[in-house]
Amino acid sequence: MQRPRLLSAAPALACGMSRHAGRLALPLLLCLGLLGLAASADAQTVKIHAAQAVVSDSPSFPADPPAQRIDLPDDWSLSRPGSDGPVWYRLSFTAPGLRERGELLALYIEHVCTNLQVYLNGQLIHSGGQMHEPITQNCNHPQLVSLPAGLIDIGLNSLDIKVVGHALSRVASTHRAGGLSALEIGPQSVLAERHAQQVALNVAVPQAVSATLLLMGSFMFVLGWINRRDSHLAYFGALSVGWAIVESRLWLRNLPFDNAVSELLLCSMLPLLTWASVQFLLRYAQVRHRWVDIGMPLQALAVPASLLLAGPERLYPMASVWYVLLALQTLAAAAFYLRTQYRERRRSFWPMALLLCLATVALAVEYGAQKFGLRGLLMQLAQAATPAMMVLVGLRLLQQQGRALQAAEESKAHLEMRIREATAEIERNFTQLAELRVEKVTERERKRIAADLHDDLGAKLLTIVHTSDSERISSLAREALEEMRLSVRGLTGKPVQLIDALGDWRAEVVSRLGQAGIEADWSAPSDELPQTLSARAFVQTTRILREAVSNVIKHSGATHCSLSCEISDGDVQIVVRDNGHGIPMELDGRLDRGHGMASMKHRAKQLQGQCLVESGPGYGTVIRLTLPLTRATELS
Amino acid sequence: MTNILLLEDLPEIRAWLSSLVLQVFPGAQIAEAARVHDALGLVSAIRFDLALVDLGLPDGSGVDVVAALREHQPETQSVVVTIHDDDEHLFPALQAGAFGYILKEQARELIIEQLHRISQGEPPLSPSIARRVMAYFAAKSKPQPASPNAMPTVSLTERETEVLLRVAKGYTLPEIGQQLTLSRHTIADYVKQIYRKLNVSSRAEAALEAQRMGLFGR
Repeated sequence: MQRPRLLSAAPALACGMSRHAGRLALPLLLCLGLLGLAASADAQTVKIHAAQAVVSDSPSFPADPPAQRIDLPDDWSLSRPGSDGPVWYRLSFTAPGLRERGELLALYIEHVCTNLQVYLNGQLIHSGGQMHEPITQNCNHPQLVSLPAGLIDIGLNSLDIKVVGHALSRVASTHRAGGLSALEIGPQSVLAERHAQQVALNVAVPQAVSATLLLMGSFMFVLGWINRRDSHLAYFGALSVGWAIVESRLWLRNLPFDNAVSELLLCSMLPLLTWASVQFLLRYAQVRHRWVDIGMPLQALAVPASLLLAGPERLYPMASVWYVLLALQTLAAAAFYLRTQYRERRRSFWPMALLLCLATVALAVEYGAQKFGLRGLLMQLAQAATPAMMVLVGLRLLQQQGRALQAAEESKAHLEMRIREATAEIERNFTQLAELRVEKVTERERKRIAADLHDDLGAKLLTIVHTSDSERISSLAREALEEMRLSVRGLTGKPVQLIDALGDWRAEVVSRLGQAGIEADWSAPSDELPQTLSARAFVQTTRILREAVSNVIKHSGATHCSLSCEISDGDVQIVVRDNGHGIPMELDGRLDRGHGMASMKHRAKQLQGQCLVESGPGYGTVIRLTLPLTRATELS
Repeated sequence: MTNILLLEDLPEIRAWLSSLVLQVFPGAQIAEAARVHDALGLVSAIRFDLALVDLGLPDGSGVDVVAALREHQPETQSVVVTIHDDDEHLFPALQAGAFGYILKEQARELIIEQLHRISQGEPPLSPSIARRVMAYFAAKSKPQPASPNAMPTVSLTERETEVLLRVAKGYTLPEIGQQLTLSRHTIADYVKQIYRKLNVSSRAEAALEAQRMGLFGR
């Protein structure tokens, strides 16, 4: 020990052996052993493991009955079962050289249940709160008591502590049963730090847990309430909120009820928590049991009823039985949930299994702590573990919910896309239908016009043909009739196969030349031809050919006429050659004169083709007609 | 004595045709009609040897008169006299039993010659009509679903098809006769046969169709 001794403390009588002394503290322990003191590891504080104790409600440490020496920590359920106190504790200490050092001393009490008052040399220096019912609940609040330097004597100082509390049988948890932990005296700076740590662990953590669970639970509850299909969320939310309320017992010190009522209320919360957790697990596994739906609320009524019947004196044994029962129910529900998840090969099986196992371990530790009165870091970890699991599960649920939302959004977007596609399709079809309708109407109209032409114009022209006295008028009317017929055909006709067109032309040309007594020679491909002519191209070509043959018959004086038709490079070339006397120059010079050359050329031009006439007196006439097949096909 | 039905709605043309017919068949009895209705009345009353039928009439189509004649007076030769030269108008009339057709605007001499020919059993046949007939029989020869009332199918012989093919390519009947080294009369017989088969097959088809409609109607 480098530093000089600061203080020493002792209970009035015999020594108590330290159970917590570190190896470093051993020399000190040896020298102070008889005083029942233990210097803690940093050698600045002294831990006190023994005190004089007496049960009394007197305002100061009583002289009578005589105090007994007891070990600290003093667990009332072991040292004085059934007693509600109050218990006075007394110990003495010296603090040599304190004034010179100018340091402040403090008393640190890690655990006192339920409340205390501290007297130094007979002066009240600290009160944890209300000492009568409803007693301020300080079981989870470590106490740091400053020892005013002015009250500390140079010699032996006496420290009296009055503790009020409850017998174990009247509380539902050993944590809240009356008792006092070991005490520690030392410099305030050192102990304040320790105190702050412990307060953080005992009070701040549960507060944070309560706040978190309350917030998350409310959120989940509302979420599950809105969407009844996700009722497991509502139960989980209720579980979280319930846990937050139970957890508040760890840091809420002053309740407006006395102990019996607050313990009863707390115990009544537990079946509600079980109800929520069991239902959550079942609903999460997508199972619904009628007897669970009925049994759980009934149990929530049965628990407070049974506790009331048993009376406040037997609260602890009754509550313990219920603890076990409720824990078993929750475990069974968890096992059931995991089994269904495993059977359905859900991906969430392993994380959930891990979380539930940890929660079970935490529950077991909690139970062990209850059973064997364990206290310390492990128990605090276990206490924090369950809410931590719940937060994790909550996050997982939120994640699932978010994913479901995302999936819903995606499917909605997909659906919208499908609808847009379908709409476009319908619009397209509608347009097509409208076009078809227009085509149909146009077709019908053309047919009507054609019929009108035939019936009206045709009949009149026919009458002229057969009633006119003038041969010239008759033949003009006949030609007009033929023209009309071709026009109608061009108007209404369908595309014509080139091979069919050649057949028609041949029949007409050969029979007309034959009737005129002119020898005809026709050569054309007779194999299958894939090309087609538009009705218009067919009609125009027919007219050109008809005109050419008419010329041969009327003007050429030929005895022989050859017609050839060739198809090459997408063109069709028709050559009409006669052995007549040709077209005299003066005739050719003066536009046409009944030969129809101009109209032949004009018609060929309309079809993007050309019509060439070679003629000379004495060697006949050659008419070369060239038409592009593609154009002739397209024009319709 | 020859009984002739003349169905034509234009009075001038009717008169003109009437004089033309008298020139071909001197002393013939000509019953004139301007409407389908009147013509049908005449068909049920008088027995005709020849009928000249216009197609486009104010109260209907001459095809009905052709069909009525085929039904009630199968011996009567029906000739379509029309200004429609396209197969769309002519083919139904031929199916109904018309034996040839004459285009009205042709010169008098030409029509007289054609009438002579037809009355002697040499009906005309244009390439487009020939193609239409071929397409008709080709469609019929396709395997059809078995029917309990299957009619004996009428089909063209190889020679008849050959003739049709050549007509479709634009060859005249005399040319085809030369090519196949057949007499003009034989070729004419083929053409007549084609007309007859077209009519028979069409009538069978129509009957089958009517029966089918009856089955559905029941």
